[in-house]
Amino acid sequence: MARWFGSAAVLVALVGLVGIPLYHLGRVGTEELTGIGPGTLERAVAGSAIFNTAWTGLAVAVIAVAVGVWLAFVTERWHPMRSGWLRVAIMLPIVVPGFVSAMGFVGAFGTGGLGDDLVGFAIPGIFGPLGIVMVLSIEAMPLAYLIVVAALRTRAEPDLERAARVHGASGRVAATTVVLPLLAPALLGSAALVFVASINAFGAPAVLGTPAGFATVTTRIYQDLARSARPEAFSRAVLLALLLVAVALLFVLVAERLLTGMGTITRTAEPPGQVIHRCRGRRAAFVAWVVVLVATVLPLVALVLTSLTRAVGLAPVPANWTTANFAEALQGRFAGALGRSVVLSVAAAVVVMALGAAVTAIRHGRFGRLSRTAVLLTFAVPGSTLAIAILLAYGASLRGTLALILVAYVAKLWGVGHRIIEGSAAAIPPDLYRAARAGGASGWTATRTVTAPLLAPAILGGGLLVFSFAFHELTMSSLLYGPGTDTLAVVVLNLQQLGDVPVSAALAVLLTVPLLVVAIPLLVGRRRWRGGA
Amino acid sequence: MAGRGVTSSVVLRQVSVDYGSVRALQGVDLEVGQGETLALLGPSGSGKTTLIHAVAGFVPLTEGEIIIDGNTVATATRSEPPDRRRVGVVFQNYALWPHLDAVDTVAYPLRRAGMGKAEARAEAARLMDRLGIGPLKKRRPSQLSGGQQQRVGLARALARRAAVYLLDEPTAHLDAEVRAAVQAEIARVRTGARAAAIHATHDAAEALALADRVVLLRAGAVVQVGTPREVYERPADLWAARLTGPASVVTAVWDGSAVAVAGVPVPAPSPTTPAGEVELLVRPDWVLPGGRLEGEVTDVFYRGTHTDHHLRTAAGSLVARLAGPPRAEPGSTGGWTLQRGWVLGGSATPDSTDS
Repeated sequence: MARWFGSAAVLVALVGLVGIPLYHLGRVGTEELTGIGPGTLERAVAGSAIFNTAWTGLAVAVIAVAVGVWLAFVTERWHPMRSGWLRVAIMLPIVVPGFVSAMGFVGAFGTGGLGDDLVGFAIPGIFGPLGIVMVLSIEAMPLAYLIVVAALRTRAEPDLERAARVHGASGRVAATTVVLPLLAPALLGSAALVFVASINAFGAPAVLGTPAGFATVTTRIYQDLARSARPEAFSRAVLLALLLVAVALLFVLVAERLLTGMGTITRTAEPPGQVIHRCRGRRAAFVAWVVVLVATVLPLVALVLTSLTRAVGLAPVPANWTTANFAEALQGRFAGALGRSVVLSVAAAVVVMALGAAVTAIRHGRFGRLSRTAVLLTFAVPGSTLAIAILLAYGASLRGTLALILVAYVAKLWGVGHRIIEGSAAAIPPDLYRAARAGGASGWTATRTVTAPLLAPAILGGGLLVFSFAFHELTMSSLLYGPGTDTLAVVVLNLQQLGDVPVSAALAVLLTVPLLVVAIPLLVGRRRWRGGA
Repeated sequence: MAGRGVTSSVVLRQVSVDYGSVRALQGVDLEVGQGETLALLGPSGSGKTTLIHAVAGFVPLTEGEIIIDGNTVATATRSEPPDRRRVGVVFQNYALWPHLDAVDTVAYPLRRAGMGKAEARAEAARLMDRLGIGPLKKRRPSQLSGGQQQRVGLARALARRAAVYLLDEPTAHLDAEVRAAVQAEIARVRTGARAAAIHATHDAAEALALADRVVLLRAGAVVQVGTPREVYERPADLWAARLTGPASVVTAVWDGSAVAVAGVPVPAPSPTTPAGEVELLVRPDWVLPGGRLEGEVTDVFYRGTHTDHHLRTAAGSLVARLAGPPRAEPGSTGGWTLQRGWVLGGSATPDSTDS
C-alpha cells in the first residue's frame, strides 16, 4: 500500500516537474529548427558563446581536478591525522553562491580591492575569462575533492599503496604504477562532472563576464530571454537550452558509468594511511591551508569589508566603516525579496523531504531503481534549460507567480536532497528492519519505530541542503521572476549590475551568512562522524 | 630458536608510536634473529598492526629506533622510506592491486629491483609454480578466492629479497579449512629460510604452531616474550594465560616446599611468593582421569578429536580435555589427577614486565 502510494507520487512528480517541461522544450525546439530554418541555427552556433563556454569549462575541469587531487592527497595520505578543519575549509565554497564568490573575488583581487590596498596585488583581466575560470575552479574544487577522496578510500585504499612501497616502489613509482591507474576512472569522472557544473554555471559568468562583453551560453540565454523581446532571440535561447541539456546529460551519463561503485565509503577502524614522512605532510598541509584561505576565505572577508565601507575606492579601514549599507539593504523593497526567498526555500525543502521519503519507501524493486536514476538525473538538467522548459510548459497559467519558481526549485533540487536520503537509507542494514518484523512489529510499526528514526537525520539534512541551495538559487530565478516575485539573489545581481557595489555587497552578506551558519555545523558534524568511525 | 644469538635481522629499541594523542606502542624492545619466526600475539587494538607498520615504515616513531640487518632505518627524527627497508609484507586484507593480474603482481617487486619486464614475469611464474599457484597467473584479484588471494600475496612478498617478512594477520579473513592450508604454506616456505619473520595474529594456536618465539602484546606494551612452550606452560599472569590457550584457575596452597590442591600435591615449579594460598593455572591437557582429587562432572562436550569434561572440585572449576569420546556422564563423581600446574603471578618468569 505504502509502496503503491509512493510509486504514484514519484511518477506524478517526475512527469510533472521534468517530463512535461522537457517535452514542451523539445517540441518548441523542433518547431524552431524546422520552421524558421537554418538561419537561427547558424546565428545560435556561430555565436562565440558556445566556444567560450566550451574552453572555459575545459580549463576549469583541468584546474579543479588537479587541485582536488592534490588536496585529497594532503588530507587523506600525507597529513591525515590533523586535517579535520582543513577538510571543512575545502568544502566551504559549496555553501557560497557563485555570484557571491565572484563579487568577493573582485573585492579581494580586483583593481582597488583588498589585495591591491594591502600589498598592491591585483589580477589584471579579472573581468573576463581569466576571472571566470578562477572563480568556477574554486566553486568546483569541493566536488572534485570529494570524488577523489571517495576514490582514494574505496579504490586505492592505503594498503594498496603500502604494498607497492614496501615491495620496492619509491613514492613516485608507486603513484604512477598503482595509485594513478586505480584513480583514473575517478579523475575522468570528476572532470566530466566539473565540466557540466561549469557550463551550467550562471552566477560567476554574469558578474565577471557580462561587464567585459564575454558571453557564455548561460549568460546568452539570460540576455536573450530576460533582456530582449525579439522573437529570434527567444528561438536562439531555446536552441541553446537544448544544446546545453544534451551536452550535460551526455557527460553526466559518462561520469556515472566511470564512478559507479564509489558511492559508498567504507571505513576501517585504523586511522587513514600515512605513507610518507610527517615533515612533508606538515609542509603540504600548510600550503593547502594557504591556498584554501586565499581562494575561499579571503574573498568572503573582502565582501564583508566592502559591505562595511562607505563607498567604492575608500580603504576598508575602521575610519571609513558604516552600517548604512546594511540599513539600506534591510529597507522595504529588499525585505520583501528576502521574505519571498525564505518562503520559497522552506517550501522547496519540505516538498523534497516528502518526495525523498516516498522514493525511500519504494526503493526496492525495479521501479525504485528506475526512479532513483531519473531523480538523480534531474540535477544534471541545467538550470537555464529547466527554467525555459518550465516557462514553456506552465508559463501560460503561472507566469509571474511564486508557484512557477517553486516548481523549478523542486524539479532542480529534488536530486540533491534525494541523494542524501537515499545514501542514508542504503547504509541502514536491511536486517534491522527484518529484526523488527521478527520481533513482532507490523510493516508500518517497523518503519515507524526503526527505519524512520534512523532516516530522520538524513531527511532533515537533505532538507537543510535544499533550503540552502534554493535560498541562493539565481540561474532559474533570474529567468522566471516577474514584477513582485523577484528573489533576494535576483535583487543582488540586478543591483550589482547597476553598479551599487556597497549595498549589493551588504545584501550578499545577508544572503550568505545564514547559509554558513546552517552549513558549517553540518560540515563539522560530518567531520566528527567520520573521525569517530 | 634458530639463529637467536647469532646476528639479529631486526632490532627494536624502546619503540613508541603515537596516533595523535593515542599511544599505540609503548617502549617496545625486541630482537628477531636470522631465520627466526616471531609471533605477535594480542587481542585487537593491542598494537600488532602498529608494530608491523613501524617496521615496514608506514608510521613514524615517536621514540626509539629500529634496526634492520644492521642499518638503522627509523628513529624519532629520521625514517627510511618503506622501499629502502628490505621488508616484504603480507597484508590482512591481501592488498592485491585490482588492475594487475597475479603474475604481474608477483613480478612487481622484481621489476622495482631493476629486472626487465619479460625476465621478471618469467621469474614470478617460476615462483608461483613452486608455490603451487601456477594456474592462477592470468587472474585478477576479483577472480580469486580469499585463500588464493593470500597465496598470491605471499608469493609477492617472497619475490622481494627481504631481510624480514612481516605478516599482518594473514589468515584472519580465511575460513578454518583454508586457514590451515595457508598456515601450512607459510610454515613450508619458512623452513630453512634465512630471513626473519614477524607474524601478527590473534589466534593462539597459530602463534604457538608457527613461531620460534611468541611476543604477548597488551595495550601497545610487551607483556611476555618466550618460546611457544614457555608462554603456554608459564604465562606471566592470568591475562597471558587466557590469551595463550584454554585456562582453568583453581585455589591451591603453597607451603614453602610444595603446591597442593584440596590437599593433593601437584607438581609445579616453585613460586617466589611467600607461603599461603595461591592461584594455580591448570591447562585442560594437564588433567588426567583417576587419582585422589575428587571431582564432579558438570558438563561434557564431545568435539570429535577430543572431549572436554567440566569438573567441579573443592578448589574450583576445571576442564579436563581427554582424547576420544566422553569418559564420564554429567553428574558422576570420580577421582582425577593434576599432572602439573603453574602458580600465577608470583612465579619467576623470564621477560615478565607488566602485571
